Amino acid sequence: MYLPNFIFPDLLLLLFPFIVIGSRLFCTDRSKAPWRIANIGFILIFVLLNFIPLASGTGRFFISNWHIDDFGVLMREVLMVSAILGIWLAKDYFEHGGGGKPAMHQIAEFIGAIAFATFGGFTVVSACDLLTFFLGLEIATIPMYALAAWNKQDQYGSEAATKYILMGSVATAFELFGFSYLYGFAGSIHFDTIYSAVANGTSPLLWIAVLFLFAGIGFKLTLFPFYTWAPDVYEGAPTPVTAVLSVTSKATAIAFLVVLVFGPLAPIQEQVAPFIALLAGTTLFVGNLGALKQSRLRRFMAYSSIAQAGYIMIALLGPATIAKTAIIYYLFVYAVSNYLAFFVFGIIGHHREETFDSLRGLSKQKPSLAIALAVAMFSLAGIPPLAGFFGKFHLFFSGASTGHYGIVAFAVLNNVLALFYYLQLIKSAWIDDADDHLNPLRMTKRQRNVIILLTVAVIALGVIPFLSDNIFAGFTF
Amino acid sequence: MDTLLFNLIWVIPLITVLVCAPIDGKRQSLLKTIHAASGTLVLLLVGFLTYRLYSLGIENAAKESAPLLLHYYMDIPWLHMFNAHYAVGADGLNMFLLFLTAVIVWGGILVSWNIKGNQKVFFALIQLLATSVYGVFMSMDLVLFFVFYEMEALCMYLMIAGYGSGRKDYGGKKLTLTLAFGSSMILATLFGLYFESGINSWSLVELSKITLPMDFQMWAFPLMFMGFAVSSSLFPFHFWSPDGHSAAPTAVSMLAAGVMMKMGAYGCLRVAMFLMPEAAKIWLPYVVALLIFNVVLGPFIALRHKDLKYITAYSSISHLGLIFLGLAAMTPVGLRGASLQMISHGFLTGLFFATIGMIYERTHTRDITEMGGIMRKLPFLGVGFVIAGFAGLGLPGFSGFIAESNIFIGAFQQESTLTRIVTVLAILSITTTAVYILQTANRMLHGNMPAKYETLTDACFREKLVVVVLVLCLLLIGVFPGWIADMLDQSIAPIFAKINSAL
Repeated sequence: MYLPNFIFPDLLLLLFPFIVIGSRLFCTDRSKAPWRIANIGFILIFVLLNFIPLASGTGRFFISNWHIDDFGVLMREVLMVSAILGIWLAKDYFEHGGGGKPAMHQIAEFIGAIAFATFGGFTVVSACDLLTFFLGLEIATIPMYALAAWNKQDQYGSEAATKYILMGSVATAFELFGFSYLYGFAGSIHFDTIYSAVANGTSPLLWIAVLFLFAGIGFKLTLFPFYTWAPDVYEGAPTPVTAVLSVTSKATAIAFLVVLVFGPLAPIQEQVAPFIALLAGTTLFVGNLGALKQSRLRRFMAYSSIAQAGYIMIALLGPATIAKTAIIYYLFVYAVSNYLAFFVFGIIGHHREETFDSLRGLSKQKPSLAIALAVAMFSLAGIPPLAGFFGKFHLFFSGASTGHYGIVAFAVLNNVLALFYYLQLIKSAWIDDADDHLNPLRMTKRQRNVIILLTVAVIALGVIPFLSDNIFAGFTF
Repeated sequence: MDTLLFNLIWVIPLITVLVCAPIDGKRQSLLKTIHAASGTLVLLLVGFLTYRLYSLGIENAAKESAPLLLHYYMDIPWLHMFNAHYAVGADGLNMFLLFLTAVIVWGGILVSWNIKGNQKVFFALIQLLATSVYGVFMSMDLVLFFVFYEMEALCMYLMIAGYGSGRKDYGGKKLTLTLAFGSSMILATLFGLYFESGINSWSLVELSKITLPMDFQMWAFPLMFMGFAVSSSLFPFHFWSPDGHSAAPTAVSMLAAGVMMKMGAYGCLRVAMFLMPEAAKIWLPYVVALLIFNVVLGPFIALRHKDLKYITAYSSISHLGLIFLGLAAMTPVGLRGASLQMISHGFLTGLFFATIGMIYERTHTRDITEMGGIMRKLPFLGVGFVIAGFAGLGLPGFSGFIAESNIFIGAFQQESTLTRIVTVLAILSITTTAVYILQTANRMLHGNMPAKYETLTDACFREKLVVVVLVLCLLLIGVFPGWIADMLDQSIAPIFAKINSAL
């Protein structure tokens, strides 16, 4: 069988969890070797992905149901960035013996799970039938259940994981139910056939399918009214898991929607638009409202990322090219900003409780951390000239390009609400008086370098937007 | 060459921040010297470019910027993703506003010499704020414009909450969030502008060549106009200004009242009214009704306040109302008056807040009832304050008189009864202005001096320099209004032509 060379990153990533977990046979329980292997491997995959020439054609089929297009390639890059940053964050967690275990205990399994989840994302964007599609979604979700329950001793962690599994299973059931109706409607699981069936006319059957599909993915993307699990899980899970959940999971879920809305359901995008707008508007409003009164960092980030999911949904209203570009760009920006915040919270979490009060006096004790935090928060709030602003601008641009000014105006006004709570956090770090009872913070050289790298990335992606422009230069979706 | 120098205006402050970043925060005098030098450099640069604009003549503008008369015009693609350009340029109006900004920033740096807290960060923030304000007055592309416009609110918060006095967090948040609310209204309409125009462009020059659909204008104009008017504290969005100004450190008050509030009025004229003149004609009478509050009630509220900064804030609100009166008149004289008032009030309020800040640094109170007789100890600052006050109430010889008389004449040319009534009310309210300014000056400067003020020392050379330069600017416009008014007239002509064609 002929295999084109741009499938190598996928194959490599599929092999990777086995290599990393297998390396445990040759080294001790607390060795750093698995982490090193994973680090090199993930970066290698990311580099390989960059060698895939873009715009060389839309959709390249290898096997009957695996195809790679430009959106797929860029989505893979987003997922790999998230995976690389995820294992870096995981190293911090494991070095400090997170969850009361010895240092670096079982990091190989942890990395394996992240690799599987990432591969799930790869599968979702490569699918061209419902079966692969569903498989991808499940591969992306099931490792997350394990990761959320990582900290077995922790009461809250276990509660959160239970909640997550229960909710997630229901969501999966919804998803399958939607797929079954879609299959019933079109008589085939292939996207092409479904596309032509949908283009030929709709029926109530189709609308039921759409409803359930959106409900199912709504759980994973934390859309209103299915977002309720997120704050608990984000707070209960270990920090690296929260970060991966908020980026990889969300990216996979939004990729799922992109594939669906601009693939088989493209003919009815116009009719689905009000529904998407409603979901987007309620989600971002509820997320912003929920974040207003939080005092614990990770709960706060949970609501913030719920709101971000709402913003991303707006892009789905636009035409395919603009929407896909907007979503990819925003996911990059969101990933970098979010990880930056989680790196800072991780360092704080190792020494202090993860609350707003623990940030007091940060600007005097560790100015670099305080600056990084401010950059991350302002980027998430969408303040120019940081990357977050251009990301959000792009999302709104996509929504407005098809004349949905109402939802765009609503989202833009909501930004004011969002700015309030991001300022609240900045205030704790910068303005409030220092509290002498807090434990001192320590940072390793590696942590500092990562934080500097990400801070520069958030500023550069925004201040020099043509950098990111070149990423997309001359390619088609 | 000129264009290159022009772009340096917003680049120099940024470079200054980068140069200062690696310097140890403890070497304060070195840092401050660098910042002051950079402020002076920009001031000289802007002064040179203004003179150059004058000697070249407005009418010899870049041809590709027609119908606007822009000098130093340049337009290069910036963001392909949404077709944004890096387009900058300046006509007389922009250039004078840039000059005003340069003076206020320079003064702001000098008056903050002894600010408490982390000075390194404070001066870096002033420079960032300066960058954003310069950018607003330079950019001719709406995306670029908005990027700079939104940036400034964020710097404001950090400076007010970090270095202010009194209810600083509350004041800072109120200011930033209200401004963010305004800019979100602008952003929403910008998208509409891009897609409804049918030419998919963010360029002011391109957009001004077409007529936007009327039904779009009807909803977009009020949103955009009010969005800009928020930062110029037009009623009912004036509430952020007194709390914000009173909590802010001196330099920030100067910048906020002197420059930032002009950005809103500038946006109303340059973007909202220029691009949507048809809707402007329908909606602006309602604006006239709103500004009754600003010009008539503003001075009365100032009359009742005891805090110097509150008094000045409400006085700013009333003066800004006059700008809107000039804009709403939609006559050449009115528009000229409005733009003159933008520039004049910038210097005026800069002087006001600078002297107040210097007095506060010495007396540690801004309550006028606690002060008295300080003229004997601080004659220089006292005179500075009184000059600012007189310029504010429109004493002939100062810039305020020129600007306000133009506004009143222009507004009275409007043949609507409402505008004429409001004009008469506005003229009458100058009396109220006189009352609160004289009353404040009297209580603060004369009468019995509390014993604790015996040891006060008058302004040092650095402070005197700031006051003298600001007074000179006020006098210069007041005594020789001809050349500046001519340049403004020529620059506003295209805007008026567009508005006139819609009438």
